Amino acid sequence: MRLGLGPIALAGSTRASLEALAKAAVAASFDSVWVAESRAGGVGGGLAAAAFLAQLVPIRVGAVLDGGLYHPLHMAEDIAIADVTSQGRVEVLLRGAPEEHVRLVLAALSGAHMRIDGPTLRVPARLEANQPAPDALALNPRPAQAVVPVWVDEAMQAIGRDLGVGVAAAWRADTPAPAPSGRWPGMLLCAGDVAAADLLRAAGKAASYFLVDASSPENVRSAGWRLVGPLRMPGFPEWINQQ
Amino acid sequence: MTLRLGLGVFGMQAVPQRPDHHVKLYRDLLEDADLAEALGFDSIWLSEHHFWFDGYCPADIAAAGAILGHTRRLGVGTAVMLLPMHSVEKVAADATTMSRLGEGRLSLGVALGYRDAEFDGFGVRRKDRGKLMDSMLPRLADACRDADPPVPLYVGVATAIAAERAGRLGLPLFADSTMTATELRTMLDAYNQAAATAGVTTPPAHALQRDVFVTDDRERDWAALLPELRYMRRQYGGWSFPQEPAESVPDYLDRLEADIEAKLKNLILGDTAMVTARLREFESLGFDPIVCRSQFGNLPRDLLRRAIEGLGRVRAEVST
Repeated sequence: MRLGLGPIALAGSTRASLEALAKAAVAASFDSVWVAESRAGGVGGGLAAAAFLAQLVPIRVGAVLDGGLYHPLHMAEDIAIADVTSQGRVEVLLRGAPEEHVRLVLAALSGAHMRIDGPTLRVPARLEANQPAPDALALNPRPAQAVVPVWVDEAMQAIGRDLGVGVAAAWRADTPAPAPSGRWPGMLLCAGDVAAADLLRAAGKAASYFLVDASSPENVRSAGWRLVGPLRMPGFPEWINQQ
Repeated sequence: MTLRLGLGVFGMQAVPQRPDHHVKLYRDLLEDADLAEALGFDSIWLSEHHFWFDGYCPADIAAAGAILGHTRRLGVGTAVMLLPMHSVEKVAADATTMSRLGEGRLSLGVALGYRDAEFDGFGVRRKDRGKLMDSMLPRLADACRDADPPVPLYVGVATAIAAERAGRLGLPLFADSTMTATELRTMLDAYNQAAATAGVTTPPAHALQRDVFVTDDRERDWAALLPELRYMRRQYGGWSFPQEPAESVPDYLDRLEADIEAKLKNLILGDTAMVTARLREFESLGFDPIVCRSQFGNLPRDLLRRAIEGLGRVRAEVST
């Protein structure tokens, strides 16, 4: 089981507020801290913010990204630079991205020499007006990680499983977490006051990745205290947290 | 009078003669940012290109995010982002968010771009870049002005025509390092005329990029720098003037060489007093900040650190 803090809304966040939450997450033994864009509200920079956060804390950093709104090669480039600057600690969750964009992001991150003729995108475009235009192109630099962990939202579950990326869903009572997909555990986005027993029931026998949206450093400490032991050790003795 | 000095421009290239892994290059960048902050520089600047084998930084705002997180006082700028290849909504949303997290330390320099292969990667016709810039710049300027904190926006220029575009909007320039003082004056005249015709207020100063290397031993450091500068200028030249299909490599290198010799002469190479005096001359033309490029490709670490420390002494001089 893995435990992440967030996603913290970038809307309204400041360095001080992000740093306080992120440092509380480290102190409470969270595996990662996540931020979320809201491009509909003009709030972007998820990967720049992840790169920013990676300088403040030593744990993994994640970004919830709004896809489909700009060229996916730019998203792949942002992922690569955030990953390289963080020395390989970046994770991403794509929401609202068309299948073609997800495929292109993954192809670019792989370091492949790409020549893609998709439903709406040709990469490279090979436009007559551009001379010389390349026959193929590759993303440079490549990410630091051999494979950057990527999840897609539940609405894209079938595509995600086909592509071997993880699947993420919002917490719903008595509903199992998404099954692992490819190399990645299913991800469940939970409220800050979620109970360990509920998470374990949602995970069943599979590994899961829980993002817990605790909204203050005190709530982060409390969530860590409540969840870390039971998620890491089956049969975690209750008396340990009640000393 | 205080002149603001920026340190730049970092392209984050794993050049053939020193092909460091990018994890190391970005770790070095953060160390250089620490040094620049300790020496009192105003800012540090990143450059952008795409799909090149040496990993030239393709995502300046993401890289800026790392520097903003790592430092507390230093400004971070893009010199320059190639705006027509981007979504202006994305750039605006990324920049305004990072300006807030960076507590007002992010500046944006944007320019047209010129390499066909990069435009083609994003499905944009290079010949449309001017029209795209005309449509994008006012929207980006509005978003930068309305951001909290606002994001200083500069327009990268190397020609009078590009300066006129910025002049019509009253946006400050980020003048290219390859321009001579005479060319800069001509460009500023074109800018001011365009601004006056449009009836817009002009900014108090513009930004300028210069190739600068502070040294007490010109002969020794010129010998060390020349191969690095030649590689860097050949690369930029190669992007501006691609090899013709029927052109041999030796002929092509000769053609590139003819283009770069004049640009190599623009390097300001000298001791603290000489460099200070030259930068004051450019300040008197109306440039502040001046972004001093001492990173040419990927210099040996000891050479670059010595250059930054030398520039730190210049910074102390121009701050009085």
